[in-house]
Amino acid sequence: MRSAWWIVFRKELRETLRDRRTLLMMVAVPVLLYPVLLIVSEQLLLFGQRSLEAERSPVAVVGDVPEGLTEVVGAREALELVPIESGPVEALRSDAVTAVAVVGAPSGAEGTRAITLLYDAASDRSQRGRGELSRALDDWADTLLVRRLADRGLPLTFALPVAVTDSSVALPAEMGGYTLGRILPLLLVVITLLGAFYPAIDLAAGEKERGTLETLLTAPVPPSAIVAGKFLTVALIAVVAAALNLGSMLLTFQTGALQITQVLGIEVSLPLRSVAIIFLALIPLAVLFAALFLGLAVRSASFKEAQNALTPVYMVVLVPAMLPIFPGIDFGPLLAITPVAGVSFLFRDAMAGNVEWLLGALVLVSTTLYAAASLAFAARAFGNERVLFGGAGPADVPSTSWLDRLRALAPAGRVPEPGVALGFVAGIALLFFYGGIRLQIGFGERGLLASEWLLLFVPAVLFVLLGRFDVARTLSLRAPTGRALAAGVLVVAGALPMVWLIGWLQSFVLPIPWDLLEGLEELMTAGDVRRLVWLLLLLAVTPAICEEVVFRGVLLGGTRTLEPWRMILLNGAVFGAFHLSFETVIRFLPTATLGALIAWTVWRTGSIWVGMLMHFVNNATLVVLTSTPALREVLSDPDAPPPLWLVPLGAAMLVLGARLLPRVSDR
Amino acid sequence: MIRLSGLTKRYGPVCAVRELTLEVLPGEVYALLGPNGAGKTTALRCLATLLEPSEGSASVCGIDVSTGPVEARRRMAFLSSSMGLYARLSARELVAFFGSLQGLAGEALAARVEEMVELFGLSEFADRFCGKLSTGQRQRVSLARALVHDPPVLILDEPTLGLDVLSGRAIHDFIQRERDRGKAILFSTHQMEEVDLLADRVGVLRRGELVAEGTPAEILARTGASNLARAFLALVADAPVAEAVRA
Repeated sequence: MRSAWWIVFRKELRETLRDRRTLLMMVAVPVLLYPVLLIVSEQLLLFGQRSLEAERSPVAVVGDVPEGLTEVVGAREALELVPIESGPVEALRSDAVTAVAVVGAPSGAEGTRAITLLYDAASDRSQRGRGELSRALDDWADTLLVRRLADRGLPLTFALPVAVTDSSVALPAEMGGYTLGRILPLLLVVITLLGAFYPAIDLAAGEKERGTLETLLTAPVPPSAIVAGKFLTVALIAVVAAALNLGSMLLTFQTGALQITQVLGIEVSLPLRSVAIIFLALIPLAVLFAALFLGLAVRSASFKEAQNALTPVYMVVLVPAMLPIFPGIDFGPLLAITPVAGVSFLFRDAMAGNVEWLLGALVLVSTTLYAAASLAFAARAFGNERVLFGGAGPADVPSTSWLDRLRALAPAGRVPEPGVALGFVAGIALLFFYGGIRLQIGFGERGLLASEWLLLFVPAVLFVLLGRFDVARTLSLRAPTGRALAAGVLVVAGALPMVWLIGWLQSFVLPIPWDLLEGLEELMTAGDVRRLVWLLLLLAVTPAICEEVVFRGVLLGGTRTLEPWRMILLNGAVFGAFHLSFETVIRFLPTATLGALIAWTVWRTGSIWVGMLMHFVNNATLVVLTSTPALREVLSDPDAPPPLWLVPLGAAMLVLGARLLPRVSDR
Repeated sequence: MIRLSGLTKRYGPVCAVRELTLEVLPGEVYALLGPNGAGKTTALRCLATLLEPSEGSASVCGIDVSTGPVEARRRMAFLSSSMGLYARLSARELVAFFGSLQGLAGEALAARVEEMVELFGLSEFADRFCGKLSTGQRQRVSLARALVHDPPVLILDEPTLGLDVLSGRAIHDFIQRERDRGKAILFSTHQMEEVDLLADRVGVLRRGELVAEGTPAEILARTGASNLARAFLALVADAPVAEAVRA
């Protein structure tokens, strides 16, 4: 007997190939539309340029016009000198002329005459008129210079002490690769993505909507075989679509049908090796998209719902894919392991013909790992009845839309839903990012203090109050026992060396932003007691209250319906991401670890106060340590490993703290 | 053949099926009666391995559906009115696809497909895409699809829903024929004629609980009603309505 996944794959492929929409997107668009569209748009561009050049630009010369100038301007073929009645600005505005030269008075026989060129920068015609008029004026200036030199009996080279000409050593083919490498990677990623997008929705959410998934699930095959068959279909379609697009586009360029390549002096051809590399990288990318989209789409009940759910993912994926367009971003190990961005950069380098093998391997391996993870995610979704038949069950159970559920829940015990809590934290992070930076630039340390209270604490409290959530339950406002406090302090004290170790370990992989660290250190170092108190207030007390209310308050309270380990990891990840900025990727892992540990402790003790104490202890320790001269040397060198004897001690304290924590069921 | 024991299915606070226990023997037709929302579909879906029971167990031919779902599916046919057919496969291709998923291949598969085409009268439209078939034709294709592996157990969730009299009649004939071949058949319905015509035994579900079970005659005797429809109403309706019916 044939394997079930193969039977499912063949059936899905057969059905998909019978779908005209898919065929149209996959074959007709790349094979026909591309060349036609490219050639037509190029022709339009060239035609527009020529028609612009065919007509003469009306220009005017006003002011103290010297002898000979009007003749020089009038002699230029592209220009038509017209007299103007009104002022030069009005003439320009009324389109009577495209540019006007306002000539000033001469300053002596050998002085400089000022000329102002008026034009409309927002008009293509005016820009062209200005260019031509400017060249005419240059010609006239040259004749004046030649005359002056002759009067003095000086050679022409007198006014030209240096002559520079530049010449690129890049071959036309290299220029072609460079140009392609800028635009094509994004296009290829988008096409692979689109190739997976619709089939994934159709094969997952579409099947659910048409009731065929239920039929399929009554067949004696495990869900993993069904996922495998579907996933292979989607991945294959995505790869084929991308390959067809790439091939069609290269052929279009290579036939010489495009004049623009000749105009630009570039030659578009890819060496076979590059094509092979691109193709090789396309496969894990297609696998990644196929599995990710299938896993997401199967959670939706209909085609339309899945489209809505997947579109934001599509947008998010576009950002890393766009990076190669921007100049000056160097392709390094960090970018290589960034999902999608790595593949996009590898495409760029392959097209330019200079692939670094190590980076290429890193991209392939990391993308394959991401693809495997998303495949596991999709397989889980297909094995889950709640996903397949909706959490609320089939028709004979009363429907529970989120609105109904909100109404049904009495205000007592009401907490935000996970999506709502996450949305709130996302909004607050944006607010903090834009508003906080302004406050900090404008008011320095006081701005930092204000941003914590005004942009984190106040919105979080307002959210809980105005959302009519149960304040005590949402924010875990339970009075802590002495034992819980002691456990919290032990956990955080044990975590400190661990977090240090993590920071040190990752310094082998991630670059350390030295400037920023020095700035931070300067901010955190107190010279006298007054400064120390202020720093503790600013950097330890304030974040302990404001950030805890947001992360261990609203976020933890709102995600309590998730499985505990998910809730805790999510909390750490969001907390870590909140402390992330472009230069400080290195803060993510340590902060996320700390956040997850605090979240775990608050969940076990049911008390946010324990979390606040832990947060305070952590931050205060850092402030005090940096302000202690003897320890500064050790701390200011992230290259040095943490004192190793601290690690087992930390682990022991963590274990002890964990044992002291009350069980959730005991509460 | 079919055995449900203490089967319970909860969705959060809602209990869709509560401690349902019943048994269907070979050559027996068991009708599960109940108003909309009584839990018939949920119970049948648990049995068909599409849903995981919250408590209790269900088994088919001695195979527990929770521990051996794939083996259990080999021994049953499940048909529900909410099930769709692949619109871009022909009827013949569809039956062949499910046949191959059941482990048939090569000439055995081809022969079985032709047998099903013959048995359910699909020959007229066997090569037309399922998306272009009428409701009655689709139901016949669905039956062929579900029975392609000739299983000993049939689970039919409202098999005649939305069908005209002729197509419904064909399904009734089919159920009787399969019973005579010794199959255990469990079907859900809320049509009394169907129960009268087919069922050897009846179970009445109300809000997820089995409130009565027995042969149609036993149900009539227990409720004192003159016909099954009245008996059904007396069993499932809320107290005042039930009183009125009895009076």
